[in-house]
Amino acid sequence: MQLPAPEENVSEKVLWGKDEAVERLGGDEELFWELCEIFLQEYPKLLQKLGQAIAESDAVAVMRAAHSLKGELGYLGAVEASKASRALEHMGHEKNLSEAAEMFASLERHLAALHRAMKVSAGATR
Amino acid sequence: MLIAEDDPIFRRVLESWLQKWNYRVITLENGLDAWSILQQKDAPQMAILDWMMPGLDGIELCRRIRSQQPGHYKYVLLLTAKGSKEDIVAGLEAGADDYLTKPFDVNELRARVRAGKRILELQDALLSVQTELQFQSAHDHLTGLWNHGAIAGLLQREAQRSARMGHPLGVMMADLDHFKRINDSYGHQTGDAVLREVAGRMLASVRNYDYVGRYGGEEFLIVLTECTASALAATAERMRACISGTPVATDAGPIPVTVSIGCVTGHATGPSFPKGEDLLHAADTALYRAKNNGRNRVEHAPETRMASQSHAAAQ
Repeated sequence: MQLPAPEENVSEKVLWGKDEAVERLGGDEELFWELCEIFLQEYPKLLQKLGQAIAESDAVAVMRAAHSLKGELGYLGAVEASKASRALEHMGHEKNLSEAAEMFASLERHLAALHRAMKVSAGATR
Repeated sequence: MLIAEDDPIFRRVLESWLQKWNYRVITLENGLDAWSILQQKDAPQMAILDWMMPGLDGIELCRRIRSQQPGHYKYVLLLTAKGSKEDIVAGLEAGADDYLTKPFDVNELRARVRAGKRILELQDALLSVQTELQFQSAHDHLTGLWNHGAIAGLLQREAQRSARMGHPLGVMMADLDHFKRINDSYGHQTGDAVLREVAGRMLASVRNYDYVGRYGGEEFLIVLTECTASALAATAERMRACISGTPVATDAGPIPVTVSIGCVTGHATGPSFPKGEDLLHAADTALYRAKNNGRNRVEHAPETRMASQSHAAAQ
């Protein structure tokens, strides 16, 4: 996958509220990294589903895939990516996908940045 | 604890925590698999169900759980990403006991699971008290046999059943000989020990599907289903011999005990079957004869005549 450069104005903190997520897990860092690994395996599938749903203008499928992503991203503290998927979920719910492709591209960028950040942090911690 | 959650991250979080808190956890990825587990006999008592799942969602799963045959209560915690009041109300109305909004934190989950555990423990306590009370209300405290009310009811029920099935019914009235003397010479405690031992020997003398009840102080009523007159005679004699054969060992030393037994077999004659009271009365009369004829013996009521008499009386 081609990874676009992260946007300059998105600080690591906004990209990824990791501390908060670890706190939610009762401070269990080990579990947190395990969840990140699961996420890194899972999110490409969801992203692919979402992209396909947008391409096929399937609003219900957009809502479902975006909903799952939103939940996971929110849980792992990925604030910006979670916001983008929430917006997509809402578009699916409203059955108005006119701006979905644009939002999807933004979500992809956030996820790519998150992916890198997770890899780097995980490498540094372990 | 059953967890039904399609999202791998939340599934892992829940599993990890609950295992850490020493719950036995079954995790499933969809509602249909969860439903098939929940229908099993030894299904988990607590379930955490995700609202949105493929196949069968958490709400529908709640409804199915609540429409199940009444048995052990299942505590259901619904997991939702939706935070609106309407959604929460819909979840609770579908039968959820509580809900948890994603993203939940570890303390909230623990508190809600504990609340559920308290409810289930309370229910377990109530059920065991209920079972205990049911047993107590039907059993004699001293001997553990059926008590007066229960054995009388069983006689009625079995008389009716035998009439319908066309089976013979055996009834015995047994009375310990000179029991008052044992109480007077050795005290009530020893008397009680004798009653307990005799009760055990009575139970050992009958088939395990026969009913033995303590009808009065030292009087016992025994109901034997599908029992012919000759089988009844053999059982009664075996019981008498078992009780008189070996003295009862007590703290006050071995005490010889004998029993007198009156028997009757209920048979269908024509369209009628003797009622429970008729059988009881006939067995009692036979018992009197056993006492008058020297005790430590078995006497039989003239069954066929008894039955036809009752038939005639009913006309």
